[in-house]
Amino acid sequence: MQTRWDVGEPHKPTINTSTEQLKSDLLTLNMGPQHPATHGVLRIEIWTDSEIVAHAIPHIGYLHRCMEKHCENLDFRGVIPFVDRLDYLASMNMEWTYAMTIEKMLGTEVPRRAELLRILTCELQRIASHLMAFGTYAIDLGAFSPFLYAFDYREKILRLFEEVSGARLLYNYIWIGGLWNDWSPEQISRVTAFCDDMEEEAKKYHELLSMNKIFIARTAHVGVMSVQDCIDFGATGPILRGAGMKWDLRKNEPYSLYSEFDFDVPVGTGEVGEPGDCWNRYIVRMREVVESIKIIRQVIEKLEPGSIMGKVPKVMKLPEGEVYFRSECPRGELAFHLVTKQDSKEPFRLKVRSPCFTHTSMLPRVAPGQMIADFVATVGSIDIVLGEIDR
Amino acid sequence: MHKELSDLINRNVSGANAVAYLTADAKKFDSSITVETSHIYKVVEFLKTNKTTSFNSLHCISGVDYTDYMEVCYMLTNYDPSAVRNLTLKVRVTDRVNAAIDSVVGQFVSADFLEREVYDMFGIKFNNHPDMRRILCPDDWEGFPLRKDYVAQKDYNGMTVYPDNKMNMEDREFIVRQNMIKKAQAEKAQ
Repeated sequence: MQTRWDVGEPHKPTINTSTEQLKSDLLTLNMGPQHPATHGVLRIEIWTDSEIVAHAIPHIGYLHRCMEKHCENLDFRGVIPFVDRLDYLASMNMEWTYAMTIEKMLGTEVPRRAELLRILTCELQRIASHLMAFGTYAIDLGAFSPFLYAFDYREKILRLFEEVSGARLLYNYIWIGGLWNDWSPEQISRVTAFCDDMEEEAKKYHELLSMNKIFIARTAHVGVMSVQDCIDFGATGPILRGAGMKWDLRKNEPYSLYSEFDFDVPVGTGEVGEPGDCWNRYIVRMREVVESIKIIRQVIEKLEPGSIMGKVPKVMKLPEGEVYFRSECPRGELAFHLVTKQDSKEPFRLKVRSPCFTHTSMLPRVAPGQMIADFVATVGSIDIVLGEIDR
Repeated sequence: MHKELSDLINRNVSGANAVAYLTADAKKFDSSITVETSHIYKVVEFLKTNKTTSFNSLHCISGVDYTDYMEVCYMLTNYDPSAVRNLTLKVRVTDRVNAAIDSVVGQFVSADFLEREVYDMFGIKFNNHPDMRRILCPDDWEGFPLRKDYVAQKDYNGMTVYPDNKMNMEDREFIVRQNMIKKAQAEKAQ
């Protein structure tokens, strides 16, 4: 069989066929799989006309583990550590979405304290994930110090998680029916202290990076994705909100206890640049950090002692049926499509709808006509995690 | 809701043969609509362009292998708060050797990557797709991993990718054995 690397000529671009005429003038460059700006093992084949990108083709799959196949051979509880490894920067959100999918099928009632603590951990995780996005995005654009500031505060969250769950990155903490471990009052008071610090720190970040003249010059009016583009491509999360559409599953289709909480959904308004450009996507993330702090404060007010584990059968058998459950993760809407057979102990099919996968497919749309450096800024602003794309 | 939608599809797309599958427990499970395989493009076009439904976003395409047939599920979403929000649209593919259905890239650009993934994992070809290549596995990989009868290849370009002493072998054999025992018991009961 003829493989791709046997072919002498680069293969023809498939989406934007008009570049074919220019083929002799174009230079094919491989960005990745080891390029630092791709945040993992993503290879983007770019066709460049001097320094202008004519066409970009993302090649994914370098981290493919076929986790969906693995899950078909595991019981429902055993899937959770695999789900952790999807988006390894927001493992809590991944676990929670999976747990909610199973709980919906089982009809389990999760105790109120467990639900509140789940919201607490997942909002903390959202902050940690956005801090990571903030730090690495600054590195992409050549600013090193914001990364150190961000990691300082991300570390505080990870320390808390480590105390509570025993792991720093891949937790296996949110279980079907509840939580593995309870938070002590001392830990909760540390969360409060963290929230106070973080609120001040977020203001500092705006001075440090958001309103920095060089940063604005690099990101404003760069990589514009309109609302229509986002809807066509199925983009969600900060990408869609950055384009100016007020859409957040926590508000629009509230799951868990989110309907009880008072928070805003920040959108890209275009006070700098225009809605849908890199700067607006970035600022949506930074504002979401503040909104998450708001939610965490309300959770702490509502917390009451109680049980943290609901009633779950010891041998978990699910009835026949299927469910498509989605939730709002830091990077967009994560969804699980679960199909089960009668009295099955393992999923018949578990499909992960990952937000970054669809966001990567938007790159060929925004790339043509950009400078290479701007393209790096665009890839960074999407904030992709390859573990989730390749599964 | 699914009943009315399927009636609407049948009235407007001739030959679509839409059948609504309604679950007994709507709190726990999802309902869906199954349509004729050859009419998927027309149905999707209708659901997108028509005023009453106007599903404007395709979020996910998921394949399921039920061994005697394969199913492709399209998760459609509408951002309009007043309309029906989510719909699972299904088509069945019975031919396992030359599995092929029409692509919906003409209606939803998001289908580009999503359909490539279904092709990669289930071997269902999408006609009229602009770039029908594998997406997650290498181009010269053999077989389609998420099919139930998939057997992994032993060597790939001179590398051993599926050694005999693979770590989880016992577990897998255990499950296969359990399934065989179950099957034998079911046959005995009959």
